[in-house]
Amino acid sequence: MSPLIGGLQKTTNYKVVLPFYSYASLGFLLGTILLLFSTEAVGAHYFNPKTLAITHTMALAWGTMIIFGASHQLLPVLVEGKLDSDRLAYLTFGFSAVGIPLLVYGFYVFDMGWPMQIGAVLVNIGVICYLANVLGSSFKSKHRNVHAWYVITATLWLFATTFFGLLLVLNFRTPILSRNSVDYLSIHAHLGIVGWFVFMVVGVGSRLIPMFLISKYTNDGILWLVFALLNIALISFMVLYLMAVPTMLFYIPVIMGLTAILLFGRHCYKAYQGRIRKSVDQQVKTSLISVVQMLLPFVALILALTFLPQGQFPRIAMIYGFCIFFGWITAIILGMTFKTMPFIIWNKVYHNKAHKGKTPAPKEIFNDRVYRIMWYSYLVGFIIFILGIIILNQLILKTGALALLIAAILYVYNVAVTAGHKAKQT
Amino acid sequence: MNIKTNNSEQCNYALQDLYHVYDPEIGLNIVDLGLVYELYFDETDNKVVCIMTLTTQFCPMGDAITTDTHNSLGKSFPGWGVNVNLTFEPPWSFAMLSPEGREFLGQ
Repeated sequence: MSPLIGGLQKTTNYKVVLPFYSYASLGFLLGTILLLFSTEAVGAHYFNPKTLAITHTMALAWGTMIIFGASHQLLPVLVEGKLDSDRLAYLTFGFSAVGIPLLVYGFYVFDMGWPMQIGAVLVNIGVICYLANVLGSSFKSKHRNVHAWYVITATLWLFATTFFGLLLVLNFRTPILSRNSVDYLSIHAHLGIVGWFVFMVVGVGSRLIPMFLISKYTNDGILWLVFALLNIALISFMVLYLMAVPTMLFYIPVIMGLTAILLFGRHCYKAYQGRIRKSVDQQVKTSLISVVQMLLPFVALILALTFLPQGQFPRIAMIYGFCIFFGWITAIILGMTFKTMPFIIWNKVYHNKAHKGKTPAPKEIFNDRVYRIMWYSYLVGFIIFILGIIILNQLILKTGALALLIAAILYVYNVAVTAGHKAKQT
Repeated sequence: MNIKTNNSEQCNYALQDLYHVYDPEIGLNIVDLGLVYELYFDETDNKVVCIMTLTTQFCPMGDAITTDTHNSLGKSFPGWGVNVNLTFEPPWSFAMLSPEGREFLGQ
């Protein structure tokens, strides 16, 4: 007989995961509503109330909350163990869910007083609960593969981001840092963008994309190289920024980051080439397109390094931020939501009904037609809005934002359809 | 499809129901996918042991597939004890697909 290994890891309770998905879908909706009614902020400096409110809505209420939800589900798979604590997961949700709106409201009205401060504290407590759960789950398990290390590292960078963000909020009222908070925004932003989002997307995406393609391609060596490049790029960026070195030197972390993303793209392409199932569903295609979209911010960044020091084309910073939060982060979430959530619901509804009648496939749990309309509406909105930023035309900006809002409404609808699915058996 | 067994007749009987156990994500049955490695029958103690794998160790439907397999064997052999054990040695590969499975996946 073959040597046996133990049974499967127990999946995380759906009650832990679904609140994050629901909250994040509303976060996406709010982000697009704010965008539609704040298009005049595009011509202003990026440090303005509405841009900050939109950015934090997209980064926290949308991107972070859905990653929290998905990672609570995926962590047992990555560490080959089980989630350390459902209670910590509920606390993560509770603190974050209350803290994020307070923080966003504080930015929107540009009041650095108690709502924003309490919001920042609550978000940090939520992140600490998440960090404790990630570390507890990871280190109680004997197995920590490269993907688990990505998640651990991303979570540590997330805590660095939110704690530094709290210091920046407090620093607005009471000077506790040597410089003005605005001077540190680039560090805070890149801690979150690279340290949290890129690490999570690469770490989890490099596991999920081959899995959903049914591809046997693996290359841990490349993933470890990407891991090192991203860490060195992020740390070197912060050091160079604090040392106020000449602009030319910033190409060093940019090139390292770009190399890391290209290697990740190559990893996904190899997985695509090595796939066993030839047909690829729309959600995986969406996720693969988002990997290509990861290159757009680098184009914006290189243009920014070229033009911004001479005071030319200040809106390039807007394009950079938009390509990140409404670009690849949103695109990969749109795709992965309808790959991961149907599995969660399928397991909830049909797990105990196996071989007691024909069950629908997970992909039949959500509305595929609505998904496709959502995806095209998103793509059209994304492209039109970038065009609007470049030529600074309010009508074009509003049109792009409206298309993104329609995509968000359709996304919320499909999340509700999926979450509310009831058993259908013949 | 090359399933090890100690009883070909019982194995063929079991397979009739196992052909109706699907990987819900792929939409292909576990026999044509090549997930069933070994089937052993103990007619003295009325026990059937199935040793199977998954396409990936991280398969989110793994629990559902093994439960379905368990229920299927229970249906084929009512009153028998059923053990479904997972192994990832050897890991599943493309070579384990049946010709029907390859055709289904567009190979």
